[in-house]
Amino acid sequence: MTLEIKDLFVSIENNLILNGLNLKVNGGETHAIMGPNGTGKSTLAQVCMGHPSYKVESGDILLDGESILDKSVDERSRLGIFLAMQNPIEVPGVTNFDFIKAAIQTRMKKDEHLRIGRFILKFEKASQDLKMGQGLAHRFLNQGFSGGEKKRNEILQMKMLNPAFAFLDEIDSGLDVDALKLVGQNVTELKSQDLGLILITHYQRLLDYITPDYVHIMINGKIVKTGNLELIKRIDQEGYDWVKKELGIEDEDKKPYSLGTCPSKH
Amino acid sequence: MKILEFLKDKENLIAFDNSTTINRADVSIKNNSLTFKKGNEFFVFLDNYDAYNELKFNFHSQQKIKLFIIVYQNKNIKMDYSFNLDDSVELEVFTNFVSRRKTNNISNFIYNLKENSSLKLLNAITFNGNLDLNCTVNLDGEKSEVTIDLLNIGGFSNKHKVRQNVNHQSKYTESYINNWLISLDNSVLDYSVSGFIEKGKEFSKCFQSNKGIMLSDSSQIAVEPKLYIDEYNVEAGHGAAIGQIDELQLYYLLSRGLSETEAKSLIISGYTLPFIDKISDEDIRRHVTSQSSRLIRRKA
Repeated sequence: MTLEIKDLFVSIENNLILNGLNLKVNGGETHAIMGPNGTGKSTLAQVCMGHPSYKVESGDILLDGESILDKSVDERSRLGIFLAMQNPIEVPGVTNFDFIKAAIQTRMKKDEHLRIGRFILKFEKASQDLKMGQGLAHRFLNQGFSGGEKKRNEILQMKMLNPAFAFLDEIDSGLDVDALKLVGQNVTELKSQDLGLILITHYQRLLDYITPDYVHIMINGKIVKTGNLELIKRIDQEGYDWVKKELGIEDEDKKPYSLGTCPSKH
Repeated sequence: MKILEFLKDKENLIAFDNSTTINRADVSIKNNSLTFKKGNEFFVFLDNYDAYNELKFNFHSQQKIKLFIIVYQNKNIKMDYSFNLDDSVELEVFTNFVSRRKTNNISNFIYNLKENSSLKLLNAITFNGNLDLNCTVNLDGEKSEVTIDLLNIGGFSNKHKVRQNVNHQSKYTESYINNWLISLDNSVLDYSVSGFIEKGKEFSKCFQSNKGIMLSDSSQIAVEPKLYIDEYNVEAGHGAAIGQIDELQLYYLLSRGLSETEAKSLIISGYTLPFIDKISDEDIRRHVTSQSSRLIRRKA
């Protein structure tokens, strides 16, 4: 499968965030997107997922050559797009088990039935792989989870749902070294001929565990440079100023746009 | 009398209609007054029962009782109920009104608590019709306390008008009210929640929490949480948070492939769960879950 983003312009409340972005991800490829704060990395992931707050001004998002711009969020998910969120949302009263079961059932054909025993085994295996501890199934979705648990729970959902393309939006934030290694291992295990991964990160440390095939630098709402692991090393040492200087990019006086505060415990 | 299926086999069932009374429990019934003797769990079924006199429930000192009251009606009903708790009674009362077609219900509940008595009220309101419910709790004795948990799901164009009053008439009395409100279609949920602490009734506590979700543009929830306090040495708090379904939660569930109907239904089920979990009888819990799911799934 192929996910292709073509000349994408996106705004939110009349602020242009993505500014003619192009990216093509084939199944089996891992792309890392790096860039300074407020440059539109998370926006890219949210727009591909179909977040209703963003407006696509022009351009297209194609999944295997078919535009998905007219598809709703849930349709995009069922088509194979997954977003591991930077701030996973807490949903009180809804257990992890019921939620993931419902998510899997939505992917089944009308005459198919969920084999509950097989589902439970897979859930438990994924839970153990991510060291989520006993009782995860019956805990309410992300409620009372530590920052690290929330991130690991995103990866658990990804493992259960088998997406075709997954955006991991700053999955490394809030993770300690051991948890980062664990997440890296689990994501690497998921890498295959089929899964296209788009890693959004600020730091090299995640990429120590998940090796990208391509590294993109995003500035002012578009990808300005693409390279390989060497690019990461240079960013880690020198930041982004050299890229701006090299490409003659001037800083825009833009602040990151907030969609709201992180959900707190209810 | 047509007893609801899940109640038929219950031991300690007391059932009334206007011509018959079934009493399978060790309860004396005289002049519409029920006095509980042995046993600690009772089921009361009222089938279109609209006695002129109030229905009285009397509990003796030290009794520990759970009472499940199901009111079934297919005509308009007006009823008064009173509950009299002697010293040191522990009473849990579940009430639910069931109507298969649109009817009106006017119900007045009065609870009188003597010293050291405690009352837990669970009100599940999934009533199809207009409801005018008045609930007054008189904390007459020192160290008496009440906890009211109420789930109200309003659908169609039904109006549910609910008045909850707690009168702290002694020292060291405590009241806690938690209302979970869900309004669908064109329904209107109109709540007045009042706590009164008289002068001199010090060391009392009075707290109210009201949460509401409106699931359609034309549904309405109005809550007036009120505290009338004439004493300094007390603890009290009240609040109301009414709004539409949390868009972030909805987006999160949609992003995993759930349809909007499934996602909303799951969020609302999660919202009602803290209430449903408090129902100790499995059959009643299933009955309330089924009632609420039917209403919510229809519209979520």
